[in-house]
Formats: sequence, structure tokens, C-alpha cells
Amino acid sequence: MKVWIRRLFILIVMIIFLVAFSGSYSALSIDNLSTVVAIAIDTSDINKLRMSFQFTNASSVSESGSTEQSPSIIYSIDCSSISNGVNLMNTYIGKELNLSHCKVIAFSEELAMNGISEEVYTLFNNAQIRPSTNVVITKCTAKYYLENSKPLAENLLTKYYEIFANSSKSTGYTVNATLGEFFSSLICDSCEGYAILGGISSEDSESTTGIDSQKDSSSKANSSSLSGKITSENIGMAVFKGDKLVGELNSIETLSFLATRNEISSFLVSVPDPNDSSSYIDIYLTPIIDSRIDVNIVNGSPYIEVSYSFTGRIYSMKANSNYLDDDVLDKISDSCSNYLETVFSNYLYKTSKDLESDINGFGKNAKSKFLTTQDFENYDWLEHYSDSFFDVSVDVSIRSSYLLTET
Amino acid sequence: MSNSRISVPEAVSIILIVLVAHTLVSLPKNLLNVTGSATLINLLYVGIIMFFLVLLMVKLFKGFAGQDIIDISNFLGGPVFQKIVGMIFIFYFIFSSSILLRNFCECLKTVYYPMTSLFFILLTFIIALCISNNFNFSVTAKINLIILPIIFVSILFIFFANNQNLSFENMTPILGNGLFDTFVTGLGNLGAFGGIVFLYFIPPYLKEPKKFKKVAMISICLSIVYLIICVAIILLTFTFLLKVDEIMPLYSAARYIEFGSFFQRLESILLLIWIIGMACYFSITLHIAMNIFKKITNIRDSKPLLIPFALLMLSISLLPSNYSISKYLETDIYPRIVIWIGLVLSTLILILAYFKKRIKTLSHNNSQGQNISSTISKKKGFIGNESMD
Repeated sequence: MKVWIRRLFILIVMIIFLVAFSGSYSALSIDNLSTVVAIAIDTSDINKLRMSFQFTNASSVSESGSTEQSPSIIYSIDCSSISNGVNLMNTYIGKELNLSHCKVIAFSEELAMNGISEEVYTLFNNAQIRPSTNVVITKCTAKYYLENSKPLAENLLTKYYEIFANSSKSTGYTVNATLGEFFSSLICDSCEGYAILGGISSEDSESTTGIDSQKDSSSKANSSSLSGKITSENIGMAVFKGDKLVGELNSIETLSFLATRNEISSFLVSVPDPNDSSSYIDIYLTPIIDSRIDVNIVNGSPYIEVSYSFTGRIYSMKANSNYLDDDVLDKISDSCSNYLETVFSNYLYKTSKDLESDINGFGKNAKSKFLTTQDFENYDWLEHYSDSFFDVSVDVSIRSSYLLTET
Repeated sequence: MSNSRISVPEAVSIILIVLVAHTLVSLPKNLLNVTGSATLINLLYVGIIMFFLVLLMVKLFKGFAGQDIIDISNFLGGPVFQKIVGMIFIFYFIFSSSILLRNFCECLKTVYYPMTSLFFILLTFIIALCISNNFNFSVTAKINLIILPIIFVSILFIFFANNQNLSFENMTPILGNGLFDTFVTGLGNLGAFGGIVFLYFIPPYLKEPKKFKKVAMISICLSIVYLIICVAIILLTFTFLLKVDEIMPLYSAARYIEFGSFFQRLESILLLIWIIGMACYFSITLHIAMNIFKKITNIRDSKPLLIPFALLMLSISLLPSNYSISKYLETDIYPRIVIWIGLVLSTLILILAYFKKRIKTLSHNNSQGQNISSTISKKKGFIGNESMD
């Protein structure tokens, strides 16, 4: 009898829990969900925001096979807030939007200039959105950016979104800016935020004619030399002060940013040839050690010393080159050091004097010069950053070229 | 009781699971709120104080081998005093675990069960701890011993997997919110060592009561190290957590872990491990509370108390009308209760009982000495009389 009662009790408990937890199960069930892969947020003429949600059509992927690109569907809605936008979209599509696979959040430049803290706080408050979601500021409308996000060398859009920012590690021309970092920078009293700069390549490039390798490294989204099929491009980065967009960095400046923050594993630069002032040598550089940053407060202004150390190999080759000669290698090393000192110095002064935004997070290093948090807050680092002076030193050691050493 | 005896590692794991349970919900953030960037220094400071407090406890406990604080209060003030102290500690255990249960379930609801009533999430834990308490205490202790190292590994994993975000500059300004806040107001961080309170109840459970000192020393050292690692994860990796309050900061830190595009969302596995750890903690607290009740009421078996105590825990966890209140109870009230009930009251009882015992021993020795001397003098007198005769 006792066993029978116990079994009945267990059965009743199981039924109760089955019913109780079914609500959450339905909320997370794949049949009831519509998976969003990217969100675009623009300004709207008829409401505060225009939100666009990008979905992938899973059934079309399986039908078309792996050789064709998966189609994507974009729905837009005008709304007063992100939460309302999601809510309205849930009603229209008859399913619940699931944002746990959303990999890109694109804001239009126009919206970003007015401030996006409310949107970022709301997105970060959502348990479904991952902190690793990339934040893109688009030079065109964010919706147009999503519509044209057709990967050139990838079939699956979701996979493209997953990996597109990874090129920052090897090229340094774009940055892997995430929602988590952006949110952190909004609260941070010693650093400012940044995002990926996105745009759409046009069929007729804006670039002027002429051979200039320096032009390659000064490109940025919407003004790159990429031509052909219209597609999205992510070159350069968007710089914020507080929650407002204040400027852009081109590819070489983005590279300087990544080198300063030690977020690059290797990169290619074109430096003036010491033997021929009209030509350039391409050098593949790898940081030997992390950049060293020392911040001091001199007469109330930040004095920032940054030293970099790289080792490199010569990538480009032409006739009558002799890269076995120590003197030649030393000359190229010096030329490269001088070139990078100028580039890094220009970049740092641009962030300080023009943009007045400490995206490098030098404030974190400055904190060690203060005894208490109160002292640091009283100093108001973010306001004083525009008074900064920089001392940049770059040590480059060119080892050799690659397969050919002497021609 | 003989089946409920536990070994030294099991005892240490019981002390540590208390700390672990609280760190999984909000303890590291609470510590950071008080002392800011100087929290690691503060933890070393309060850790040293706590170490000496535990040393004192061990010394005072020497005279009371195999007894817990309830037995000692009986010795100190008799049965009435024992009952008062017992009720205070029952309140302490039930209140602290109920509030933690509520907050942990609130977090689970937010993250995984948005449409499920909080009551059912709480009920799941209550049923789990009713089932586990049907077995011997040593069973829970053994499971706890298995799960605790796994939780430790998960915490270390969060620390090392987030190494790309590590920034030692976050430890500066070195004095955080100031000298006073670090070393005076920061004494409030003693409340983090709630696990040490369990040391007062461990001696009767030990297979070898002589090894109490070993249990205490290992527990306090591991507690300090563990707390430092937990705070370092938050302090060195996520600056924004100093200013923003996020549910379960360690869970939030785990959300950042990704290994390429292949291994993502590892926090789900970690949360599963932590849920088992939490269930162990609730089970242990419930058992100790029941055992105290059993002692103060002189009942033979504590099993019939299981359902009423579990329901009491459920009821208290349902009392706060919203998360704000339960959070306040956990972050502001719990540390104070730990300090005043767990550390001050218990240590006072121990000190007074120690002196009472010494006085008793001395008076006993004196009376024995008097007896001996009177016997000797009697004998002397007898011998003298005999010689006179």
C-alpha cells in the first residue's frame, strides 16, 4: 500500500512539473521560434526607430544544396523602442523572435551620431543576445547594409557573420567590436567605445586613379576600391565619445589601434624604400612583445609613452634586391620604424586632439597614478585626454625576405 | 549518528560549499561594491583576520572535543540558554539558505525558464533536498565532495578562458574607494566567510574529532584562495561589473567564453554543475537546522521534521514580494547576520564557556587540593596523636 501511494505521489509530482515547465519549453521550442541572424536599427520618419530583422530561410538552404547562397528575409518595422519593435514583429510573423543566434547589430551612422546608449543598454539587458554579437555602424542605412550583406566567398550568411570580423587579427583593417565591449565602454570612466565601420561597395569606385600603395591602407567602408558586385564591406572603425559617434578611422589607423591594444597577430605595411624614395616595400610584421604603455600626469596633462616592437620579413620583391646584406636590412628596419612612428603618432594625436576619445583605454594605465577612485574621478580622465601628449617609439627588426633573398 | 560521521575532506567540502553557493549568486559583486578596485587587498586583510579568528576558535574548541556550539551553550547557560541559541542558529540557517534559494531561482527563471512560475522552480529544489535528506548526512557530504572540485575547476576555467580580457590595471587605483573604506568599512567583508560558521557545528559529525584543527585550517585557507579567484575574475576582466549590477556575475563572465566558432555557450554546462552544488548546499543547511532543533527539543529522530522544515524554507523564500527585496536581504542583511550571529555570538559563547570551564577546573583542582591537604593534615594529626600516645 505504502509503495503504491509513493508511486502515485511521484506520478502526480511529475505531471505537475510537466505542466509547470511546459510554458518555458514552448517559449524556447524550435517550432515556435523565428531565429534572427542580424538586426538593423535606423532612424525613422514616422517613429523613433526603424528596426529590421534578418532571418535565414532554413528550408531553402536544404532544398538548394550547399553550392548556392542561402536566401535571407528582412522585415522592417517602425517602433518607439527595441522592445516594442520585437513585440510588434512577434505579432506580425506569428512566432516569437529568438535573438540568441543574432550575430550582428547594425546601427546607421545617423542614429549613432544622436547616441545609442538606450538601445545598447536594452540589447545587453536581453538574456538571449550574446555579448560577443558584433556591433557595426553603417555609412548607409543599416537596412540597406543587411540587404547587401551577401558574402563573397561563403554560402551561409550565418557563417559569414560568425567569421567576418576575424580578419582583424591578420589584416588589422577592421576590428572585432562586440556588444559586450561596447556596453562596457559606455560605463567605463577610463575608455571610450568603438565599433566596426560598415558600408556598401559601389560598382564605380570613388577612388582616384594613380598608383599609390598608401591609398590601400587609407581606405575605409563606403570609399574602398572594391568594385564589382554590390556587397557590404567592413573596413575601418567607428569612434564614439560616450554613446555618440564622433568620427571614423581608416584602415591604417585601425591597424594602429589594434597594434596599440595588442589585438593583432601580424600585418602588412608598405614602407618607403630607403634606396628609392619613389617606391615602397611591403613588409609583413609580427609583434615581438606587447606594446608598452606608460602614462604620467605632467602639469595636469597626460603624457603617454608608447613603445612597440616588431619583427618583420620583406614581402615584395623586385630585380636587383639584396636582402642578405646587413646594411640593407638595417636601412629598411630604420625606414620601417620611422614610418610606423609617424603613422602611430598621427593616429594617437587624431584620437586625442580631433576625436577626443580614448578608445585605446590609456585611462586604465593612468589609474595607477592615482591612489583612490575618488582622485581618479575628480581628475576626469576622459575630458583631460584631449590634452594628451605622446611619445611613440617603434623598434622594427627586419630578419629577411621569404624564399628569394637576393635577385 | 555513527552512520552520519564524515571524514576530513568531506567536512572541508561542507565548509566550502557555503562560500561557493554564495559566490555563484552575488557575493563577489557585493565585496566589490564595498571596496572597489582594492577588493583583492581587502580580501587578504580580512582573510588574515579570519585566519586568526579560526585559530582562536580551534584553541577554544580544544576543551570541548566532539561538541558543537549548541552543546557548549548548554554547558554555559543551561537548557534555556541552549534553546535560545539553538533557535537563533535555526533562524540563521533557514533564513540564509531560503534567501539564497530565492535569488538563485530568480536568476534561473530569468535565464532559462522565463514562462515558468517561480514557485515551481523553488519547489524543484525543495523536493530535491527532501529526497537527499532522506538519506544519511554522509551521503550528502560525499556527493558534495564529488561536486565541489568540479565547481572549483569550473571557476578556474572561467578565469583562464577569459585571459584575453584580463587587465591587471583594473586593480588600480590601489586603495580603491579609500583607506577607510578598504580597511575599516571593508571589515564588513568578513561576512563573506559564512562557511566558517558551519565549523561550530562540524565537531559532532567528525569521524576523528581530533582533526578539527586540520579541517578548520584547510577550510579557511581554501576559502581565502577561492574568494580571491572569484573576485579576480570579476575585477580583472569586466570593469563594467564594478558599476553595473548583473545577475550572477560569474555566470555573466562565463557568457564571454568562446573558443572559435565551435565551442560557444559553455555557460549552460557550468550552470548545470552549479545547480547540483546549490542543491548540496541547501540540503546540508536543512540537515544542520533540523539537527539543532532535534538537540534543543530532545527528540530522537529528526526525519519527521524534514517536510515542515522544507516547507518553512519554501515559505520564507516566497516571502519577498520582488527581486529587489530578496537581493537586499542577501547583499545587506546576510553579511551582517554572518558577522553578528555567526562570528560574534558564537565566539562570545565559546570564550565564556572556555573561561567557565577553566574556572570550574581550577575550583575543582582547588577543592581536590584542599581535600588532599586536609587528608594529609588529618593523617599528620593521626600520626602525631599515635606518637603522643
